[in-house]
Amino acid sequence: MSLLVALAALGGLAAGAPLLTRALGRNAGYVLAAGFLGVACLLAAHTPTVLDDRTVDWSADWIPSLGVSLALRLDGVSLVFSLVALVVGALVMAYCCRYLGDASARGPVYPLLALFAAAMVGLVLADDLVLLYVFWEITTLCSFALVSTAGAKAAGPGRHALVVTVVGGLALLVAVVLLTLATGTTRLSAVLADPASVLDSPYALPIAACVALAAFTKSAQFPFQSWLPGAMVAMTPVSAYLHAATMVKAGIYLLVRMSPLFAGQTAWSAVLITVGLTTALLGAVQALREHDLKAMLARSTVSQLGLLVAVIGVGTSTALAAALLHTMAHALFKATLFMLVGIVDKETGSRDIRELSGLRKVMPWTAAATAVAALSMAGVPPMLGFVSKEYLFMGLLSADVTPWAGPVAGAVAVTASALTFAYGARIVWGAFGGPVEQPELYEPAPAFLAPAAVAAVVGVLAGPAVSLLDPVIDSATTDALPGSTPPSIYAWHGLSPELAMSATTVAVGLVLFWQRDRVDAALQRLRFPDGPALFTRGHDALLAFGGRVGAPDRSPSLAAHLARPLLAVVALGVVGLLTVGPVPARVDAGDPGRWLVVALLGAAVLGTALATRTVALVALVGVAGLFVSLWLLLSGSLDVAITLLLVEVLTAVVLVLVLRDRPLRLPAPGPRRLPTAVLAVAVGLVAAGATAALTGRRELSAAGTFFLDRAEELTGGTNVVNTVLVDFRGLDTLLESVVVGVAALGLLLLGTATVPHPTDTDDVLLRVGTHLLAPGMLLLSAWLLWRGHDEPGGGFISALVAGIAVALRQLASGTVPTRAWLQPGPLLGVGAVLSVGVGLAPLLVGDALLTPFHLVPFLSSALVFDLGVWLMVLALVVAVVQALGARPEHEQVAA
Amino acid sequence: MNALVIAPIALPLVAAAVLLLAPRSTTLARVVGIGATALVVLAAAVLLARTLTGEVPVVQVGGWPAGIAIVLALDAFGALVLLLTAAVTLLGLVYAIGTGEDRERTFTPLVLVMSAGVSGALSTADLFNLFVFVEVVLIPSYVLLTLAPRRQRIAGARLYVGVNLLASTLFLGGIGLLYGVTGTVQLGQLAGVATASAPAALAATLLLVAMGIKSAVVPLHSWLPGSYSVAGPAVTVLFSGLLTKIGLYALFRLYSVLFDGDPRFLWVLLVVAVLTMVVGVLSAVGATAVRPVLTAHMVSQIGYVLVGLGLSTAAGLGAATFFLVQYVLVKAALFMVGGAVEVRYGTDVLARVGGGLVHRERWLAVAFAGSALALVGIPPTSGFVAKLQLATAAAADGPWWVLVAVVAVSAVTMVSMLKLWNGVFWGEPSSLPAPARGASATLVGPPLLLAAVALVLGIWAEPLLAASTIAGQQLADPSAWVAAVTR
Amino acid sequence: MTAAVAVGLLVAGGSYLVLQRGLLRVVLGFVLLGHAMVVLVLAAGGDRGGFALPGNGGGEPADPLPQAFVLTAVVIAFAVTVYLLGLLRAGSEEPSPADDDARGPS
Repeated sequence: MSLLVALAALGGLAAGAPLLTRALGRNAGYVLAAGFLGVACLLAAHTPTVLDDRTVDWSADWIPSLGVSLALRLDGVSLVFSLVALVVGALVMAYCCRYLGDASARGPVYPLLALFAAAMVGLVLADDLVLLYVFWEITTLCSFALVSTAGAKAAGPGRHALVVTVVGGLALLVAVVLLTLATGTTRLSAVLADPASVLDSPYALPIAACVALAAFTKSAQFPFQSWLPGAMVAMTPVSAYLHAATMVKAGIYLLVRMSPLFAGQTAWSAVLITVGLTTALLGAVQALREHDLKAMLARSTVSQLGLLVAVIGVGTSTALAAALLHTMAHALFKATLFMLVGIVDKETGSRDIRELSGLRKVMPWTAAATAVAALSMAGVPPMLGFVSKEYLFMGLLSADVTPWAGPVAGAVAVTASALTFAYGARIVWGAFGGPVEQPELYEPAPAFLAPAAVAAVVGVLAGPAVSLLDPVIDSATTDALPGSTPPSIYAWHGLSPELAMSATTVAVGLVLFWQRDRVDAALQRLRFPDGPALFTRGHDALLAFGGRVGAPDRSPSLAAHLARPLLAVVALGVVGLLTVGPVPARVDAGDPGRWLVVALLGAAVLGTALATRTVALVALVGVAGLFVSLWLLLSGSLDVAITLLLVEVLTAVVLVLVLRDRPLRLPAPGPRRLPTAVLAVAVGLVAAGATAALTGRRELSAAGTFFLDRAEELTGGTNVVNTVLVDFRGLDTLLESVVVGVAALGLLLLGTATVPHPTDTDDVLLRVGTHLLAPGMLLLSAWLLWRGHDEPGGGFISALVAGIAVALRQLASGTVPTRAWLQPGPLLGVGAVLSVGVGLAPLLVGDALLTPFHLVPFLSSALVFDLGVWLMVLALVVAVVQALGARPEHEQVAA
Repeated sequence: MNALVIAPIALPLVAAAVLLLAPRSTTLARVVGIGATALVVLAAAVLLARTLTGEVPVVQVGGWPAGIAIVLALDAFGALVLLLTAAVTLLGLVYAIGTGEDRERTFTPLVLVMSAGVSGALSTADLFNLFVFVEVVLIPSYVLLTLAPRRQRIAGARLYVGVNLLASTLFLGGIGLLYGVTGTVQLGQLAGVATASAPAALAATLLLVAMGIKSAVVPLHSWLPGSYSVAGPAVTVLFSGLLTKIGLYALFRLYSVLFDGDPRFLWVLLVVAVLTMVVGVLSAVGATAVRPVLTAHMVSQIGYVLVGLGLSTAAGLGAATFFLVQYVLVKAALFMVGGAVEVRYGTDVLARVGGGLVHRERWLAVAFAGSALALVGIPPTSGFVAKLQLATAAAADGPWWVLVAVVAVSAVTMVSMLKLWNGVFWGEPSSLPAPARGASATLVGPPLLLAAVALVLGIWAEPLLAASTIAGQQLADPSAWVAAVTR
Repeated sequence: MTAAVAVGLLVAGGSYLVLQRGLLRVVLGFVLLGHAMVVLVLAAGGDRGGFALPGNGGGEPADPLPQAFVLTAVVIAFAVTVYLLGLLRAGSEEPSPADDDARGPS
């Protein structure tokens, strides 16, 4: 429970930080620091339990569907890492109180730092893989947000850091998923207790690779290391806390955590040692050629993390103990150095050792603290850094991947450490040595210096007293590597190979420092790939590539977008040809008359493809429609034939309205006629083949039989098709009239940019003809509506007839119908109310939607329903006439 | 109680008719539109609660026997998507107040008709009726697309209408062919036909192709960016939440019922899903304005959802359902933020905005950040749970490259979201002239609410997870649904 | 078999037209494709050889269900077609990057 309390307290600090800063300004940091220390004490109170090789656990369900729980566990490893996070956090918070101005302290820095601390502690306490991943990503986000607070200059480095760490996070996600699959649980402790399930599963290699990738990105290992120096644009407390002491240690934590699974596996060791040592060497060399103090420290962090990764790769108990100890030591001395460099930066306005000089005279305490921390970093006795480095050497020497691995690893580590000594000296000498150039400077306020000084002093004292840490390291190592016997930790363990290595380190380091000008000259000539620039180039290339991938979607040509589905149809046809075996025989009524119609249809269709004039095209499409109607008639579908014919006529009228003041010639066809023709013919063949193969090969369907046999009996209508439309499938019909109504609305909206335009027709015949014809057609329409249930007719057909009357009138007289009732709006509204009302009415008496009923004898619900449809279809025609019968405004002006 | 299935269809239709007959009043339109949609949300919630118990509410329209009547039915999947679309419609209508689009008289009625069509398409168990309902969705969308007073709107509308018309034509052809083979269009009676007979499978695949166009599945997606680029902001939100989702829903329903989740064709679906994810995200990262980035991401996210269908396991389908629900909400939030920037600053082109809006539009920035994280799948947002679940399902039952694609596309998604963040919100204060007034609550509230929902669904995912798990099980084994609609 | 040939012809012609420049050709191409679907759906009901002309006596009555489908589809197609024609007309008011009937070779 106290684990939950600890996390909740940290979360509470994060949530309360904005209030604190509002009340206390920058001094809110002291409250936060006290809070951190309080939580640290809460956790440290469990030390006896942990030393007793027991754990503190708490868990609750979180996402039971996925088996994920909020499980927390405190063991030796998490105790070490959480105390480091909290103690360093407290120091940095206290440091912030003097580093930040009151204005920037009121910004998001404090809440984010507190949130980060909560996430970091959560990360090391999490006993559920998913929970661990969640905290992992929150630390990444906090890091991004904190880097971003540096403003516009942080955009590039922030992106670099975020992308690299998120990619690593995604690798961790894959590892989590695969571990869950391999072991059947997300509980971390259960997974770690069951290495066999993991190693014997096919996922072992991907899991290890993904874990390593996640750790390498987070802990800035080669080849991902270059995000870390970039992240130094963030303010110094952020660099000290996240990018030196804690967040980058998350990768180290992960590797230590996963050691029970992978320690001792050859590939794991080989990769970790190689990458770690490469990183260590590279980082150290690059640190030594920097001039910016902060950049030196950043490169140094990369280098030290490399040593940690390498020693974890060795995977023996000595090696892991060394990793744990050095994690503590590094957090202490590196955070100290960052804080001190921040002080120098604040006081002098520069971090460049070429501009700084002789600060030891004006800032002696700062200089002393820096020197102490640098000595710890350099591994000089009796600092804590010395002890931890001794164990690092010891651990690396125990590498046994191959017989030569230990010596080689040791030699590389000594080299990197000698370079560390040299850049440590370079930092101290560069800033504090030499003649005084800014005598007006003075020592920072004690409160500013205190956090760094405390850490430096702890680094000195902890060296000789390191055996106090022994039980903790011992227990943590046992937790990291169950069943192992960890070494005891002493400050002094006699004349050992490690001591010789330390001596060599210091000696070589001294030489490097002594010859610093030559070394510097030589190093400046080295050329390293520019990581951030490479990243930016890759990023821009991705953006450019994306632009090319998206380019076809921006094509303005409709044909380009229509061709794809048609190609898909052709592909489907080819697949069908290959897969569909024999089909049932045709149930066919051979009929020469229809062949003639189809032949004529073919001629008309061919004509449409070749037409170059508008009139010809319109006429040929109309003729094609005529032949289709004829075919329908010959096939026994009278209602459909009539409807199609009427639709054809109405379409023709509309076309005339639309096209009357258009160019007579069509635009040139598209540029690629032949491929288009081939595609069109292919689609046609597929359609014909599909129709031939899939239709006309079975007897009348069950539904069809039902309708033919029982429609009249059930509905009282003798026109079976009409009964299907208004009785059996009234919903379709209702919706279709909705479609019609909406199209009418849309046309009216399109027409708002136009004004009514009376055309003067000299065609007396047409005018007189339509005047005589219109009333007759309206009567015909009413009759068709009435008898629709029994004979061909019904709402659509009769409305189309009425519509043609209206349209012809418009065409002849050029006047838009002005009678109030003949407006689309009221027609639509009344029609919709009738249709929907008749449809919904049965619900009131408990029947199903659209159940037919009789209002009074001879007035069935079907007729009212049909009347509603009639009104809405008529509304569409009127809307067409109103919208399209007018001429665009600008033409009006021109005329 | 079964009659409640009709409410989400009938309520908006009646409300639309009332608004057409009533005198012109924006206030009335708002009250009626939002009120009716709120009732639909309520009805959908009640229906969902019932379907989660395994019940399938059914209505035989007209009271005719099964096989004759058009059957409306909802299972957990249908009810969940219904609740989702209704919620998006509701928030879209509120947001339209903020953008001013609902001042056009026909806006609200058109949206209502569209939402009725969506409800119907989600509930119908009849293929031809599905075709008609899809048309009821499409025709208002054609009109809504041309409402915005933008240059090039007609060109965009042509593209949209043309492609959808072709898709509808293919769908009708597929219905015809399937009827030719089987003699029925009732989905319940068609259960498993595509597995049993190759001709039926061919016809059913044509239906899938048609719905693939509508749901913007690569390589049939190319129409989407051009069409969406011309719509008004609220219309874009509604389109993104309703239109492609109908296609996606139909793909799931059809494959589940007609193909019975046939394992022989799953590799095709997985290839298509991964292609959709990858092409979509690459187009997104290459786009240079907010809306095109988001539109391309729609394609990419549709790919994610399709992965679940390509797995066709209960776990995969459940993951896809969860993914679908949360991504529609997140995408709506993002479109709302982008639209708000457009409405207030007249452009959403990154180069012209130049970043720095965080100083002026703090709440929009918060809404964007929250929903962008969810889109990428960063914990603790809903997108994280969705991706975790999908990745687990893919790793368990799919080939390795699907898992790789799922995570790799996430990484590129993040790059694109970072591009928007830096291009619109972060950095030095923008040089664009500041609008005279602050952003209205109706403009900022909906995306903020949705971003909050994304966070809540991430931290407290269990209820939605439980629901989508049931939906996934019912999709993997549609026998209860089939029995209900053929009864 | 007449149906299959008719569908093939209409689909080929319609596809060719919708892939051409100029919205008029596209609209009319969709009209042809719509006709093709009418024939296809009716054919799906089965060929019952019916001449149902009045006084003819006719063959067996055709399957009414596809006829009902087609009637619905025809009206929907008509609504969409006239809306597209409305777009075509409105489109002449604004410049278009690619295809526009307003800019024929004349």
